[in-house]
Amino acid sequence: MLLSLMIFVPLLGMIVVLLLPRDSEELIKRVTLGFTLIPLILAVYLFIDYKSTPDTQYAVSVPWIDAFNINYHIGIDGLSVTLMLLTALLGPICVLASWRNIEKGIKAYMALFLLLETGMLGFFAALDLFLFFVFFELTLLPMYFLIGVWGGPRREYAAIKFFLYTLFGSVLMLVALIAVYLSSGIPGERTFDIPTLITLAGTPGHALADPTFQIWVFLGFFIGFAVKVPIFPFHTWLPDAHVEAPTAISVILAGVLLKMGTYGLVRINMAMFPEGMAFFSNGIGFWGNSLALLGFVNIVYGSFCALAQTDFKKLVAYSSIGHMGFVILGLAARNTMGVSGAILQMFNHGVISAMLFLLVGVLYDRAHHREINGFGGLAGKMPIYAGFTTLAFMASLGLPGLSGFVGEALSLLGAFDTFKVLTILSTIGIVVGAAYFLWTLQRVFLGKLNPKYEELPEINKREILTLVPLGILTIVLGIWPNFALDMFRESVDELVTLMNTFQAGL
Amino acid sequence: MVVPLISIILLAPLAAFTIFALLGLAKRSFPRQDLLSTAAMLVALGCSLYLLKEVVPKPDPHTVDWISLGNITFSMGFYLDSVTVIMLIVVTLVSSLVHIFSIGYMHGDPRYPRFFAYLSLFSFSMLFLVVSDNLLGIYIGWELVGLCSYLLIGFWFEKDSAANACKKAFLTTRVGDVGMFIGMMILFWQLDFKTFSLYGEGGIFSAVATTDDKLWLSIAGILIFCGAIGKSAQVPLHTWLPDAMEGPTPVSALIHAATMVAAGVYLTARMFPILTPSSSLVIAYIGGITAIVAATIAIVRFDIKRVLAYSTISQLGYMMLAIGAGSYVAGLFHLTTHAFFKALLFLGSGSVIHAFHAMHAHHDDDHADNAEHDHSLVHEHGSEIPPDQDMRNMGGLRRKMPITFITMLIATLSISGVPFIFSGFWSKDKILGGVLGRAMEWNSIHHYVLFGIALCAAGITAFYMFRLIFMTFFGEPRNQEMHNMAHESPWVMTVPLIVLAALSFPVVNHLWFNKDYVKPPPQPHIQAPQHAYVPSDTKIGFTLFGLSEAEAADEEGGTDTEQSDKAHHAHEVAHNIAMVLSIIVAGLGILLSWLFYHRRRFSAEAVATTFRPVYNLFWNKYYFDEFYDGVLVTLTVWKARLFAKFDLSIIDGIVNGVATITQKIFAASIGFFDNRVVDGIVNRVAEVTWAAGGRIRRIQTGAIQTYLFVVLGGIVLIILIFRAL
Repeated sequence: MLLSLMIFVPLLGMIVVLLLPRDSEELIKRVTLGFTLIPLILAVYLFIDYKSTPDTQYAVSVPWIDAFNINYHIGIDGLSVTLMLLTALLGPICVLASWRNIEKGIKAYMALFLLLETGMLGFFAALDLFLFFVFFELTLLPMYFLIGVWGGPRREYAAIKFFLYTLFGSVLMLVALIAVYLSSGIPGERTFDIPTLITLAGTPGHALADPTFQIWVFLGFFIGFAVKVPIFPFHTWLPDAHVEAPTAISVILAGVLLKMGTYGLVRINMAMFPEGMAFFSNGIGFWGNSLALLGFVNIVYGSFCALAQTDFKKLVAYSSIGHMGFVILGLAARNTMGVSGAILQMFNHGVISAMLFLLVGVLYDRAHHREINGFGGLAGKMPIYAGFTTLAFMASLGLPGLSGFVGEALSLLGAFDTFKVLTILSTIGIVVGAAYFLWTLQRVFLGKLNPKYEELPEINKREILTLVPLGILTIVLGIWPNFALDMFRESVDELVTLMNTFQAGL
Repeated sequence: MVVPLISIILLAPLAAFTIFALLGLAKRSFPRQDLLSTAAMLVALGCSLYLLKEVVPKPDPHTVDWISLGNITFSMGFYLDSVTVIMLIVVTLVSSLVHIFSIGYMHGDPRYPRFFAYLSLFSFSMLFLVVSDNLLGIYIGWELVGLCSYLLIGFWFEKDSAANACKKAFLTTRVGDVGMFIGMMILFWQLDFKTFSLYGEGGIFSAVATTDDKLWLSIAGILIFCGAIGKSAQVPLHTWLPDAMEGPTPVSALIHAATMVAAGVYLTARMFPILTPSSSLVIAYIGGITAIVAATIAIVRFDIKRVLAYSTISQLGYMMLAIGAGSYVAGLFHLTTHAFFKALLFLGSGSVIHAFHAMHAHHDDDHADNAEHDHSLVHEHGSEIPPDQDMRNMGGLRRKMPITFITMLIATLSISGVPFIFSGFWSKDKILGGVLGRAMEWNSIHHYVLFGIALCAAGITAFYMFRLIFMTFFGEPRNQEMHNMAHESPWVMTVPLIVLAALSFPVVNHLWFNKDYVKPPPQPHIQAPQHAYVPSDTKIGFTLFGLSEAEAADEEGGTDTEQSDKAHHAHEVAHNIAMVLSIIVAGLGILLSWLFYHRRRFSAEAVATTFRPVYNLFWNKYYFDEFYDGVLVTLTVWKARLFAKFDLSIIDGIVNGVATITQKIFAASIGFFDNRVVDGIVNRVAEVTWAAGGRIRRIQTGAIQTYLFVVLGGIVLIILIFRAL
């Protein structure tokens, strides 16, 4: 009940916002903020109340579409509660970040945002494959409008590109999903229930456990999620979408939407198709290294592309591609360390990239451009802003003592066991990551103050308020990683044990 | 008592920084951040001195779990042995003195409080590195000191040269750090215990003792040493340290001479038990090459700080050489003595710069103005020397600045290895003796070569250090205008100089020569080769300050008595030979320097002209920077642009191409479809958006609201229909 409340409170908020008169903008903003704060409070409660066991908690299952044996089945484990907390945290922060810079149609904007939050929260809690898919798609429409209506000059192109790309992935995923459903049993006993399917897929002799079947279905889901992560070569929608999207939407995009892809990989690909997973990541031959190879390509390719960018936001977008590569690499390791590192990296990247996009937004709101070479010397003018940016950059480039390091280090360390060469090559990304962030710091903040920006005002209280919680999380998780690891330790152990029984015996 | 004391040592400077950071959020600052930071450091110093008598005979780690994953736990903890305590005292002492010096030196800087906050953060990080009992903790402190170094080198970030230098320092050291991380990963997976803890039953060192995998161990050792190559500015990653002189001079003294750069030596010493013969030899060679390369570059510099920077690199090479040659105690001993006399030299040069500084309105020097806004990764470096650091503008300062002169002279005598009454002599001699001893004991040609290199470097060091003294303090003033402005520094600056000068005498020696205090850890993978040489019975007895060279020498050698006897003999003889030779080369260096730069019997210019190619090689710093900027950085940026272009034109081109082709196919096969159609559904949605967008822009009406209500209604309807099925 608590979980359903958390998921659907934003939807309720959307209805309330829609009923408000459209000229009372202050009221709309406040109501939205209120409706995003409720899930946050509930998420914090869940976080505290959650017991670290491998079992699903707060499970609810009611029949929804009997004809196809579809249930409204939700529940959380350590992984989902972590990502729900992230989503719920970014909700109010995004509303605050949209306070001043959304100039038109604030009512529709807020309504769509609330719908988006329901979609995201629901996605992380869904335990029925069909419901999972519905929530997955539910995030697509509001996102499309939010980029396409409130975005920058090339918003239509970016929105359509985002939409089509994701749709392309979804179609493959849908095919795989139907295949799984049809193979799950004889007519009448077929199911979309994720825990049931996981059990069936682990039952020797069952159609779902067939290795060839697993590999193909794995691929279907994988491409669907790969677009979302995004994994090379399905990534080109991301820079465009980020550059055009308003600040808060970029924050959600990088902070949560990308995590939907990696979450799907863990929840579906790894747990449900361990045989397929093993085939692509057991370290034997080309296919056995392919997943790690994709992680490596993401890291190096994303980092080098970021180094060449001169648009601040595009740089951060490409850096996201690089950092998601560490998640892929960690997952490919299929051991406790790698998978824990990957999950930690998901959460940390959510927090850090949210900070980065908020910071880009702060600068854009003042200077109305994002050309890195167009600034210079801002550190003297905006010391607090420079301080926050340095913190976020350092966290993102993996400075030990801040959260980014722990996820990256554990992913690499885990992956090194199986993929020695690829892991060593991936460390190139660590150096290049430092290079583009420090070069940006220099071009924006160091040197002589660009006389154009003599009058640039310092970051204001509302903006500081959006950054402080994220900054605190970055520092706390850097100093005390067990705080987060405690949440999903049991879930990861169970997953790794499950996967280790399969080594792709093809 | 140990844990609370170490906690205070760490938390005091951290608190000083945190207060600054938190108040900074509210756009405030503590009224006297300088006193706060200095007080914190003095507290840490007091606790460190107290720890001196707390060192337990059998050190035991105090740990807490940091990351627990399944059956693997990474713990964080303190490890306290005699080396830790000595490092703690060196760091807190130099840091305290630099804090005090900075009160005078940084006076009037617009970011004065920030400077002290950064110093506090640095001190915390450095102390954390020193007390950590595991590789992960060392790595964390390691990177944090790198961050502080970055912030402090770029403290006067308005200068483009400073902005470039701080970036270069961070990136260059990061290259080494990545190597170190890979080395850590190899150790982690290759050894029996899955841990980063170094000590105790389940630690890396006990796992190393039982492993036979020498190849992996050598690779891991060399890779971990890569971190030290970066941090301690060893060839080939040394180029950042001279540029780091763009930071304020107290920073150069604290971070880039006494403590952070010595962290690499500390790490290598801590890794002593995992070294194999081959990794030791690599370390020794890197150290030896660094010592000679940096020393030769230092001869031709005119910037007083750069001379000292290259000197630092050279001396760090010495320490590495010692550890690589198995002289654990000698390496760490030199670290200690060097920390004091080099900090003194830097602070002294700061005092000189300060004396000249009154001419300049402020730290944004002239040369910052004429530098263009240089936004490229490739940049010029060190080509122009700030006038107040150019030794060609100095001369005759000894009367104007007597305290600075005398203290710097003491440090110079110490670093040059003037015998017996200066600490530098003892530590340098211990290194030379150790290398020669290993050469004789193992009959190893490598170590003979290294000894030769080290001896040359010692002579060159004496030469260029006295060149600095003669050019700065002797002769006639070369720039009368600047000379007239010069004045002795205030007492907050001279007192630290005097204290450090006192420490340049052999006051710390008894710690190092007391065999029970510092003991080298065993090296399970290093044994003397079979053909070890048995020295003749020559004995040149030598006793001074109540210690005999024979005693000092026998720290090396195995447990086996016969082997130990041989080693003992070899080292005894070696130390005596080394001592005589080192006194000779130091004397020669000083004599030549005197003839060149004081008596002007020879002309340096004439020699430079005669040996033009060699001079050019030294003057251009062996072209390392040209290679890195011209080749590596350019290639990297070029590669990045290539990738970005590839992304934009090829990958995205394919995407857009597929979209276009899809459009065409649709348009052809379904004639009445609009040619904009890529996907029927999407297009409809898109048109709705465009229409909605247009309308919102116009009248802010609720097209989307309507749409949302439709969606909501649709969902409800679908649910109801399906429920009915």
